[in-house]
Amino acid sequence: MSQIALTIALPFLAAFLLPVIGRVYEALARVLGPLVLLYCLWLVLQLWGTGDGHPVALAMGGFRPPMGITLYVDRLALLFTLLVSLMTLLLWPWQRAADSRECALTLLLAGSASGLALSGDLFNIYVFYELVSVASFGLVAVHRSGAAFVATLRYLVISGFGTVLALTGIALVYSQTGTLNLAQLAQLAPDLLAGPVGLAGFLFMLLGFGVKGELFPVNTWVPEVYATAPARASALLAGLVSKLSLLVVLRLLVLLYQQEQALQLLLLLGVLGVISGELAAWRARDLKRMLAFSSIGQLGAMFIAFSIPGNAGLLAGLALALHHLLVKPALFLLAAGWPGAVERLRGLARGGPLAAGLFVLLALSLIGVPPLPGFWAKMLLVVGLAGQESGYLLALAVVLGAAVLEASYLFRVVAQLYHRDEEAARPRPYLLDLGSAALAGAVLLSAVPFISPLGDWLAGTAAQAGDREGYIITVFPAAGRPLYSAAGGGKPALAAAGPLPEPKP
Amino acid sequence: MTALDNLLLLALLTVLLLLAGRRLSSLGWYLTILFGAQFAGLLMMGALGYGAPPVPSSLHIGVMGQVMQWRFDALSWLFALITVGAGLTSSWYLAGDWGRHYRQRGGNLWLLQLALAVNVFSMLLLLASGDLLSLFIGWELVSWSAFLLMALNGADAMRAALRYITYAMAGAMAMMAGLGLVLHTAGSLQYADLAAAVPTLSSPQLWGLILLFGMGFGVKMGLLPLHLWQARAYSETPGPGASFLGAVSTRMGLWGLILVLVQLVGLVPIADLAIPYTFLDARELLMWVAALTIILPTYTALRQNDARMLLAWHGIGQGGYMLLGVLMGDAMGSAGGLMHAFNYATYQAPLFMAVYAVRYRTGTSDLNRLGGLVTRMPLSFLVMLVGIIGLAGLPPMNGFVSKWLIYRGLINDGQPLLFIAAVVGTFGTILSVYKLIHNTFLGQLRLEHVEVREAPWSMTVPMLLLSAVVFVTGYLPGLVLDWVAAAQQAVGLPVLVHTLGGVESPLGSLDMIWVSSLMFAGFGIGALLFYAGGNRSKAVHQLDNYAGGHFLSADVRYQYSDHFYAGLMRHIGPLYRNSFQWLEGALGTTVETLGAAMRAFYRQHHPAIYLLAVTTAGLIWVIL
Amino acid sequence: MSIGTLALELLLMPLVAFVVGLAMVLMLRRIGARIQRRVGPPLLQPLYDVVKLYGKQTQISHGIVHDIGIVMAVGGYIAAETLLPVPGMDGIAAKGGLITLVYVLMVPMLGLALGVGQCANPNGSIGISRALTAMLAYDIPFVIVVFGISWHYGTTDLTRIIALQQAAGPAGWGAAEMPLLAIAGLIALHASLGKQPFEIYVAPAEIATGPMVEMGGKYLGGLFVMQCFQLYTASVLYTTLFLGGGENWILFLLKIFAVVAIPMTLAYLFPRYRTEDLVRLLWKWPVLIGLVGLALVMR
Repeated sequence: MSQIALTIALPFLAAFLLPVIGRVYEALARVLGPLVLLYCLWLVLQLWGTGDGHPVALAMGGFRPPMGITLYVDRLALLFTLLVSLMTLLLWPWQRAADSRECALTLLLAGSASGLALSGDLFNIYVFYELVSVASFGLVAVHRSGAAFVATLRYLVISGFGTVLALTGIALVYSQTGTLNLAQLAQLAPDLLAGPVGLAGFLFMLLGFGVKGELFPVNTWVPEVYATAPARASALLAGLVSKLSLLVVLRLLVLLYQQEQALQLLLLLGVLGVISGELAAWRARDLKRMLAFSSIGQLGAMFIAFSIPGNAGLLAGLALALHHLLVKPALFLLAAGWPGAVERLRGLARGGPLAAGLFVLLALSLIGVPPLPGFWAKMLLVVGLAGQESGYLLALAVVLGAAVLEASYLFRVVAQLYHRDEEAARPRPYLLDLGSAALAGAVLLSAVPFISPLGDWLAGTAAQAGDREGYIITVFPAAGRPLYSAAGGGKPALAAAGPLPEPKP
Repeated sequence: MTALDNLLLLALLTVLLLLAGRRLSSLGWYLTILFGAQFAGLLMMGALGYGAPPVPSSLHIGVMGQVMQWRFDALSWLFALITVGAGLTSSWYLAGDWGRHYRQRGGNLWLLQLALAVNVFSMLLLLASGDLLSLFIGWELVSWSAFLLMALNGADAMRAALRYITYAMAGAMAMMAGLGLVLHTAGSLQYADLAAAVPTLSSPQLWGLILLFGMGFGVKMGLLPLHLWQARAYSETPGPGASFLGAVSTRMGLWGLILVLVQLVGLVPIADLAIPYTFLDARELLMWVAALTIILPTYTALRQNDARMLLAWHGIGQGGYMLLGVLMGDAMGSAGGLMHAFNYATYQAPLFMAVYAVRYRTGTSDLNRLGGLVTRMPLSFLVMLVGIIGLAGLPPMNGFVSKWLIYRGLINDGQPLLFIAAVVGTFGTILSVYKLIHNTFLGQLRLEHVEVREAPWSMTVPMLLLSAVVFVTGYLPGLVLDWVAAAQQAVGLPVLVHTLGGVESPLGSLDMIWVSSLMFAGFGIGALLFYAGGNRSKAVHQLDNYAGGHFLSADVRYQYSDHFYAGLMRHIGPLYRNSFQWLEGALGTTVETLGAAMRAFYRQHHPAIYLLAVTTAGLIWVIL
Repeated sequence: MSIGTLALELLLMPLVAFVVGLAMVLMLRRIGARIQRRVGPPLLQPLYDVVKLYGKQTQISHGIVHDIGIVMAVGGYIAAETLLPVPGMDGIAAKGGLITLVYVLMVPMLGLALGVGQCANPNGSIGISRALTAMLAYDIPFVIVVFGISWHYGTTDLTRIIALQQAAGPAGWGAAEMPLLAIAGLIALHASLGKQPFEIYVAPAEIATGPMVEMGGKYLGGLFVMQCFQLYTASVLYTTLFLGGGENWILFLLKIFAVVAIPMTLAYLFPRYRTEDLVRLLWKWPVLIGLVGLALVMR
């Protein structure tokens, strides 16, 4: 099981070696990245197959928690690690494979994203989060266009601000509890983090880690960046990285902050995100910008889902996240072939019927038309919200209203695509882009007959992720030591005596 | 494999064959035959008469803790009959010359046929739903299939279709919220569980249920104030598509309302919900919404100059009659409402077909540019005549029977104002349909239309068939009343006791066999008096006419068609305030403004300052 | 009732209607003459008019719908008479009712409208549009009356309405029990006859007699016959609803002639209203009176 750490280490290694190899063996440099990612993918699949579904805590370097670096591998983390490798592989910049910088940055992103998914303590999360940020700055600006530079600068400013906030939050938490290990924090949180200082810590960490998750109000970078970055970078950011930020917020909520004020704060920010995102998308005149705003709205809905107490909210949020992860990158890939304002898309369906058809399919799933998977995810959210009191009911009304707006502006685009009066000979989307989008569409359609087993599996995953007691017991079993140690090569470590370390006053 | 499974599979097979057979010529005829097979399958299922159990499907799907199932009861059967019948006649209409002409003008005929097949399939699936989850899925499928049908025709049609989809999504989202409400109050989405939980619902919850489902189904039905999308969207759909949508698509909303409000919730709890500060209760409020839906669209139709828009507006208005009838909850009124759904489909489809036949031959449906076509297109005139007599609700056609039942129900219920509203709607209809037939077929024949011939047989035969149905079901309303009574029983309404000719009751009887026979006997006597003694009348040309001493020539326009009801319009013209359109426009402007504000927010140049402010605010909130 | 009796009734009722209608037309013209200080036409003048019109040599037809329109106009009224009970003959009044009768009466109007339509003369079309507008106008108070009657007597069966009124005697007549509704009904009846001040749709000098502009010979004869039926039907309906029907033929004829005489007298005293003024008038006073009467009835 400890081989999971390879999914973090190998991409890093490859990223650092790539520029060097690129100068010597160019052919090898082209395929090194995909090979590494393929191996990581295979590794995760193997671990998944051999595992028994129970969460596992790994201590790196033999240091017991809460001192050392812990990796927590439950179904959710394993799923995300798989998705990281898979998505990065599918969204690999084949077109510009000669540019070793872009490949290196992508590998860096992959490695740090895996690390983010697997981390078991706050500082580790922070470090990997920063690494993801750095990688994404580079990826956004890699095509060196002026607009991209401006957008990256804005992204940098906001991300930097977010970093400061996150660090402050972590510091506040440390000052209250004296530890940064998530499992120990989970044990100490109900007593020590319930006060205003703890909540302030939550606020700061939420805003800090929420930058990538397009949380209102730290999401003003989103439209510019997604509109000017290369399509694959936008797809990776919108599809993958935002979900990792969600994962971090999920861990925070489940383990540290289960109190009502935290949920209310998240609900408020989520509602504001939905409102601002969808309304701005209505007015957008450029397709990629429209998709960016739509993404803000969708992520707002996910935050709303997480703010529902109990496992129902987690399940809804996860379902929405996975659906968005599938659909949004595909939409960005299609949009890459249709640059410019929506008006310029007139009549493009005639030249590219597959692309236009895919757009319609993806739009329908995004809006939530049964029997596509997007409908089931939305249904989970609606059912979860309907049972709560007034604030949640308002959020329900906002989410449903947002769906109406979405249908309206997405089908405005479809109307332009299928406009019959003009024959436009515009460039079609790049074949590989189209292929990846078609793959996404195929996965979407094939998931329809298997909704029920998928739903059950997700429910199990969500239940496992929401099980705070289980988390604590996994990391600190009753004997007071972790189950596996990386240095021991998979054998149980020697029994250690003594209770848990005392928290510093 | 039950009869329902066979029917649904046949409908699915139709869709798949159409998808595969794009290159086939005469695909339209194959489609017609397949629809005929579906119709036969439906008839073989039997009319599911009194007390017959619903026909289940063998498909069960469990998902998200709910079980989805499908079944047909007598109410579904009645509406399915209308659906498949409308599909059959529409595809027949487009199978021959009309389809060829459409393809020549650049239309995608295959897509139109596919859209028809998909619509019929999704409607059958909706009608067969056995629980609220499958109902919602079927509802969404129906909405989006209708969107496909409406959006086929290009620019104007797409705009109207986009407007439709915004309304439809709003309704669907309301319904989704309703589903959430049901799940949390009844615990499951099965019909029986909801019906059992209704007595335990609190007042706000019951209101929520009524409003959410009412809005969801009301959008499709075109109830005020959710009706603005319908007229333009239906009139821009290509020919047979318009006749199909008008006949049946709107009625899906009615079916949904009957299912949820009448069968599941029941009219008694709804009538018990009083609205504070008024003397109305929820049922009467809905009846008034239905009454306003009768009056306002009918008088809007009066002002239309395009025949298709006129008919589309009437479609909205007639839906109000159906809802009004059903909401009365007694035997006569509800039978009238249900029968009106059937009757309306039978005379509305040939009306649209006649208008499109005229449009096919002359190229226009603008009422100010037609006239005098009765001599050139007599069969279309006959069809339109039967259609407008049915639409106006005059004997001997079937529209009269359903309207009679509704009026009787209103009298029994003691609702004078609603009765007057219903009758005012009928008079508005009479005025407006006379204008339709006068401006199209009567009056002076234009010079450019002298060479016009009758519509081809592939178009006239389905029209005439439907007109025959209108006449026969008007003469023998008992045939349809059998189906209606079975549906009433399935829904839980009191059953109407009827005979083959109509209704016998101490409160007032109706025997259409006698009335219609005597009417035709009277016509016979009148003809006898007229033609007795040899027919010495001399046919004269239309230009041989009184013109105050002037000589008429063919280039002189001697037709009264524009501003047909000038006197009336001078009086009621100021009443047309377009309030609903203003409301819709205001809503749209609000959304635009908010959207612009949000975009400005995202474009700000110095986010850092703003973020600091937000963080500080957050801190304050946390500390307090 | 045997088939033979029924068939006899169905033949006799329109015939009686025609004869009495002719007499009413005569009374109409005599009243007009007296008011205008003339003598008026002789006794059989209306009959002579009908025979003259049918016997004319020049009969102009604009098409088959023109012919059928007149057939429908006359035939519709013939059918309507069988739904209207008279002393001794009920016809099929029990198989339709008040509502059916009102709707069957619209069929001749529709037939006339179709016939006029094919005449292809704008004067005719304008006349029909005004006639339909007037119908919309006067039918609103009429509908209020119909509702009130049906509600009060609990049925729409005309034979039962007559029986209930006759059982209670003159104090139980509709006019005595529902006076406001009776007044509203009388105004609606006057408007439905199409005489001044509500004859805008014929308006001889303005639109060349409107619907009748291209009607001559037996076409005009048919319209004349239709007018006879119209006078008869309106007065008999009013009598049935408000004056207790006919206990015997003498009283019956007295009542129906009295009912027609009132509007006819008023007609010759007034000029005509414009269309929108007609609509405005009929939608104001008769409706108000009718609604108040209805509220009193339903209390």
